[in-house]
Amino acid sequence: MNEELNIETLNPREDKRGAAEVNRLLRASGLEMEADIQVFVVARDRKKIVGCAGLADGVVKCVAIAKERRGSSLAVKLMDEVQRLAMKRGQSHLFLYTKPDRAPLFEGCGFHQIVEVPGHACLMENTPVGIRDYCESLRAFRQQGQRIGCVVLNANPFTLGHLDLVRRALRECDWLHVFVVAEDASTIRYADRLDMVRAGLAGMDRLTVHGGSKYLISKATFPSYFIKDSHEVETCGTAIDLLIFRRYIAPALGITHRFVGSEPFCLVTRKYNEDMFEWLESASMEAAPIHVVEIPRLEVEGRAVSASEVRRLLAKDDFAAMTALTPATTLSRLRAIYAFRTLLQAGHRAA
Amino acid sequence: MKKPRRSMLFIPGSNAAMLSTAFVYRPDSIMFDLEDAVALGEKDSARLLVYHALQLPAYKEIETVVRINPLDTPYGLKDLEAAVRGGAEIIRLPKTDCAADIQKLEREVERIEQECGRELGSTRLMAAIESASGVVNAVAIATASPRMDSIALAGFDYVVDMQTQRGDGSEIFYARCAVLHAARAAKIDAFDVVFSDVNDDEGFLKEVEVAKRLGFNGKSLINPRQIELLHKAYAPTEEEVHKAEQIVNAAKNAEREGLGVVSLNGKMIDPPVVMNAQRILALAGLTFGHA
Amino acid sequence: MKITKEAMCGTLESNDLLVKVLPFGGLQVSIYSEVMRQFGARIREVVGETLKQMGVTQGKIVVEDKGALDCAIRARVEAAVLRGAECEDLDWRAL
Repeated sequence: MNEELNIETLNPREDKRGAAEVNRLLRASGLEMEADIQVFVVARDRKKIVGCAGLADGVVKCVAIAKERRGSSLAVKLMDEVQRLAMKRGQSHLFLYTKPDRAPLFEGCGFHQIVEVPGHACLMENTPVGIRDYCESLRAFRQQGQRIGCVVLNANPFTLGHLDLVRRALRECDWLHVFVVAEDASTIRYADRLDMVRAGLAGMDRLTVHGGSKYLISKATFPSYFIKDSHEVETCGTAIDLLIFRRYIAPALGITHRFVGSEPFCLVTRKYNEDMFEWLESASMEAAPIHVVEIPRLEVEGRAVSASEVRRLLAKDDFAAMTALTPATTLSRLRAIYAFRTLLQAGHRAA
Repeated sequence: MKKPRRSMLFIPGSNAAMLSTAFVYRPDSIMFDLEDAVALGEKDSARLLVYHALQLPAYKEIETVVRINPLDTPYGLKDLEAAVRGGAEIIRLPKTDCAADIQKLEREVERIEQECGRELGSTRLMAAIESASGVVNAVAIATASPRMDSIALAGFDYVVDMQTQRGDGSEIFYARCAVLHAARAAKIDAFDVVFSDVNDDEGFLKEVEVAKRLGFNGKSLINPRQIELLHKAYAPTEEEVHKAEQIVNAAKNAEREGLGVVSLNGKMIDPPVVMNAQRILALAGLTFGHA
Repeated sequence: MKITKEAMCGTLESNDLLVKVLPFGGLQVSIYSEVMRQFGARIREVVGETLKQMGVTQGKIVVEDKGALDCAIRARVEAAVLRGAECEDLDWRAL
């Protein structure tokens, strides 16, 4: 019985000393501390930290076990506590990135592999039926046809550019599945973005709008996408997301084509689009290849319509200028959402 | 002849693996702990684990004890329901300070036995003395109920209450004696404190020797390794066994010949001496595997 | 008994199991075990019996087994369901 072993939590932002000790353990295992970790679960043998596991929202990171403790049941005890802690914090669905050679360790701790980029990284989740059940739920939306298309939109907010992309994609396929990125990390809330997409595409035939999921452009599958000012994306950043799409999501819906708008502005998105050709189209995998179709962006007055431009105008309350870039359905919703702010400012001006 | 109870192995009630396999260590009794060994967040699940484990066939062969939480906690009464309904033979009440504690426990146990159809009186009670009050009230506690089975001294909490620390044993000497005397006067068993350093065999055996000399029936253990050490230490010597055999044979002869008095080598042997000899042979039988 | 929130009980240590329950429209039970072939059916049976005794007709139950005995399976499922149903008191007559 490991009587001297104590499992505790440690807040790296408050406990500087503890954080330093964890950092030493991480370094010894060839890992680096990550800034977005909110809490660590640590195992102390008497006073010394011999194991640690970090939680950053729903992602487990920075798991290290002191050399002399490897092979014992310490990993299981640590990860059990991580799951308990996460559940208490309202996060029952956890993801974990690790190097492929460490995957077996985590399999013994209740994590199940979703996808692996050989030699680089492996994404796992803490349930045997996560991606499986998700695909099962998607299958209910399968449609007949030779060419089944897919578009993934952040739609922050939904613009005429997005509408144009969807219309053009629809011309080239029998049915189009439109997904909206579900992560609440954009200026405009997911619920509102989804609402704008549905409203903007209302009445259009041969398409289904799907809410997003953790399995498609989420903090778990594609963290770089959500890091502000991110210029660098490691190979794995896009590969994991795209592999999940190719191996699970596309087969569940019978998707044969993925449509993307050309990306003149955001470097991360541009790299993602480039990688799509590599990961989705290549013949080297068991899962059927998917045709990637890049559609040039809609231009208005010689400039590509961009959601970030709309947000800039929104910040200035320039709804007049926005009419050229967004459909009426989006405009009306934006007015409603930001009306309170406008009122407040009007009040200030009047005072 | 009462079963010897040299070793009482503590098992945390929240540990499924241990609960499933502890019987292989063959202690004289197993104590499923729902109190100190179980975190607050797991009290509910440990209770259920113990309830179901108690019903395993393997545990029908070994004496089972359940340490519930004190009855004035949100957990105690629920623990008791699980323990009695699950079939625990003995309920260990922590922090028993006075006879009223036992009487309150007794009332609840009786109610539960009635509700679940368990034989009335079949659930026995063990008081754990963990404070000065408990020691001072030991006699009243030991005689507080016909269900009283035994009384145990819990060293750690007791020394905290006494404002001292565990050391060479002198700090618990009076408590040991008080608990023992109360037990003997009430004709119930007495159990000695836990020895917590699982790596110090020598220290453990020294303490066992003291407990044995004083007359404790057995000791609470927290590590299966301590079981064999303890049983060996409690084993009677060859000489003791030989002498005991002689006494028991003399008693048998006396009975056969219808004599009112047992004598050996010209000396009269009182009934307590015969009983003691029987006890020694029973212990020997356990240790050496005779019938 | 109705599962109203997500809950879990147990551990992934040897001879134990981890049970997770979630509110769900129908009743879906998923069993995962390293010894699925030998014991999968038995685990499913015990889990099913326990759910039935507790009157659970709706919910998603996910069980990850590490070689637990029936007694541990029953206990963990019961505790997870009670936590998920936000119910403090066990109805002993039902067991």
